[in-house]
Amino acid sequence: MSLAIAGMGWITPLGSGIDPVWERLLQGDEAQAEKITEQFSNQCYSVFRVPESALTSSPRHPRLRRASMISRFAAAAGLEALQAAGVKLDSQSAERMALVFAISNGGVIYTKRFYRDIVEGSAQSASPLLFPETVFNAPASHLAAILGITGATYTLVGDSAAGLLAIRMAEDLMTNEALDYCLVVGAEEVDWLLCDAYRRWRLLRLAPPVEPFGRIDRGMILSEGAGAILLRRDGPIIIEGTHAGGNYRKRAEAEELMKRILCDLSRTKIDFVISSANGTFIDKAESRVLQQVIPDAFVYTAKPALGESVGAAGLWQVILGGQALHCGELPPLLHVRRTIPLQISPTRVSLAAAGRAIVLGSGVNQQVAGLRLSIR
Amino acid sequence: MVKSTSANGKKFTARVAVVAAGVVSPLGFGLSETLDSLREARDCVNRVTRFSVAQCRCKTAGQVPAERLLDEQRNRVRARRLHRASHMIIYALGEALTQEPQFKPELTVIGTTSGGMSYGEDYYRSLKQGGNLRHSPTWIANYPAQKPVIDALEAFGIAAPCEVVSNACASGTNAIGHAFDCVRSGRYQRVLTGGYDALSELVFVGFDSLQASTPEKCRPFDRHRTGMVLGEGAAVLALENFNAARARGATVLAEITGYGISTDNFHLTQPDPSGIGPRRAMERTLQSAHISADAVDYINAHGTATPFNDTAEGKAISELFDRVPVSSTKSMMGHSLGAAGAVEAVICLLALQHQFLPPNINFRAPDEDIHLNIVANKAQPALVSTVLSNSFGFGGTNASILMRKFDA
Repeated sequence: MSLAIAGMGWITPLGSGIDPVWERLLQGDEAQAEKITEQFSNQCYSVFRVPESALTSSPRHPRLRRASMISRFAAAAGLEALQAAGVKLDSQSAERMALVFAISNGGVIYTKRFYRDIVEGSAQSASPLLFPETVFNAPASHLAAILGITGATYTLVGDSAAGLLAIRMAEDLMTNEALDYCLVVGAEEVDWLLCDAYRRWRLLRLAPPVEPFGRIDRGMILSEGAGAILLRRDGPIIIEGTHAGGNYRKRAEAEELMKRILCDLSRTKIDFVISSANGTFIDKAESRVLQQVIPDAFVYTAKPALGESVGAAGLWQVILGGQALHCGELPPLLHVRRTIPLQISPTRVSLAAAGRAIVLGSGVNQQVAGLRLSIR
Repeated sequence: MVKSTSANGKKFTARVAVVAAGVVSPLGFGLSETLDSLREARDCVNRVTRFSVAQCRCKTAGQVPAERLLDEQRNRVRARRLHRASHMIIYALGEALTQEPQFKPELTVIGTTSGGMSYGEDYYRSLKQGGNLRHSPTWIANYPAQKPVIDALEAFGIAAPCEVVSNACASGTNAIGHAFDCVRSGRYQRVLTGGYDALSELVFVGFDSLQASTPEKCRPFDRHRTGMVLGEGAAVLALENFNAARARGATVLAEITGYGISTDNFHLTQPDPSGIGPRRAMERTLQSAHISADAVDYINAHGTATPFNDTAEGKAISELFDRVPVSSTKSMMGHSLGAAGAVEAVICLLALQHQFLPPNINFRAPDEDIHLNIVANKAQPALVSTVLSNSFGFGGTNASILMRKFDA
């Protein structure tokens, strides 16, 4: 079953709006790193945050008054996707739309604050206002309320592959002809607690740049934001097929899984791949598999420019793939060695004749998935 | 194969069989112990031992005994490093696979609300106290919600991808419902589904802070109910295309015949008092199964025993059904959140297989505003062919599934 992308929206460390952020990526811009400090030991981290200016035009709704940043990001991206598709929901059409939400760490800022109050004070200090916002499906609930969706709403939790798994779920849901649309949203917010955790896991770099496909895995920079795509059954950008991939037990097994996904998705000519490379062990695995399976395809990752947004990452990748097919070019790949044996370009590259792309979602927490895009 | 379209637009091509099931909860380890607890109407809620509840209003929960849980996993490599949520889901999957050793799912859909939350708590406390962070890589690696599912799949050499649904307290039923839709649509032949959650301090205190949990007994639908108690557990169901299962000679434990989901946008934590959300979910489930309400023999209610939930759910049930027997088995084992829908699906399966109505214990007096036929305090023998199971959650998410007895 194939689905089409009817509309897209995102809010990123390079701003909001599909076209403005895309233009900045084409110009080779990268997000400004912000320093945040760990509360207990003063360890400093760099993150790519969504600039405040990007939220000035974000929706106002009573549900968002006390909501966490992740919910605000999701609402901004979701509404942009609907607007781009020219879809206005009423009570009848809202019943014919499903919402699938991808998330990884969720509302970590409120979760940490809620638990901090328990640890530093007592159970009696815990705020009943914060607790509901710590629940994984709180952002999806807010967005459903803003849009008036009364049917299927799902939140999927996973790593950076969660966004592609959410699209896979949307594909399954759309076999139901009672649905006209499925809005898929991925979102994440950053906090020093996440930085500390990923550092202890040896996956984080303390300061940019993110160097994809490097000789040494120097680590990733965490970022935040949201991406959204509105799916329907026809349109110019097609999701020809999704691949639910699988789970790897050891890092070495990730490569085998990626190979299976790429082989399954590349039975037709692939012009470029939107990779997950983020400066971690993922890069070497992806690089080796890409060389083996589709050595002629151009490879691009936006993670040096936008950071690793985990739950939002898969949606951002699909948006990048859709934009590249639509506009016929790829942004420059930043901070990459020119000698790597992949088709990469440190300058923007024209792909005017490009017809098909693969999005490879390789997470650092054991999940890998993929999908193939094409343009009519 | 003839394809047709149901009243709510779903194309369906396949009947969906439950060919195996496994469970661990405060009611017991495995189907047999669970059945005994249900028949004997055991109250499996006791004082919380995993963390201090001195400052909480509520002091009790349904808990899976930690030592026995670990004992069950003792022969497994790395068992001690895994989160107890992993141990629970490994146990449940192990039981299911003893019934169907060759079950190879194409997809896994599992519900949870909090993954390995207690490891996140350990990590934060150690950071805060400047303590020993030697274990932090283990805590961090085992914290993500998908990890217990992947651990369980790995333990039995299953390579299926996993979708981890986190729709608050409806997660388990949503996971089963989506898995059902996946098989019914013909896109999949075999899907492994279920739910898990392990008790954690953060979530326990969270419900306490909302004053949703009670310092007293959990009394669903009772006039003097004062709130919920939490629980924990895991359950899995192996779903298979009915014809494929029959063709290979598999034992069909029951069929799942309907699923409905709705979202009411009333409030993040409270249901719409009109009961419209639960009502829509149940109506959609009946439509999906092409049956009328009077074909339902028993409802396993969400029944948290909070004043708001039970009133809204009671209203919705009494508007749709005529005196159908209803019970909330959370009265016996607490509310296991993401596991609840899956554990309750297994309870429904046992009710179908063993022809009885599971009890709603601690019930003393009916609520004048709730007009339900409660299965009060004792299990009852009954002819049970079709059962409905409800789960509702924060965020206004509502889900119901319908199961049917299968006679070979």
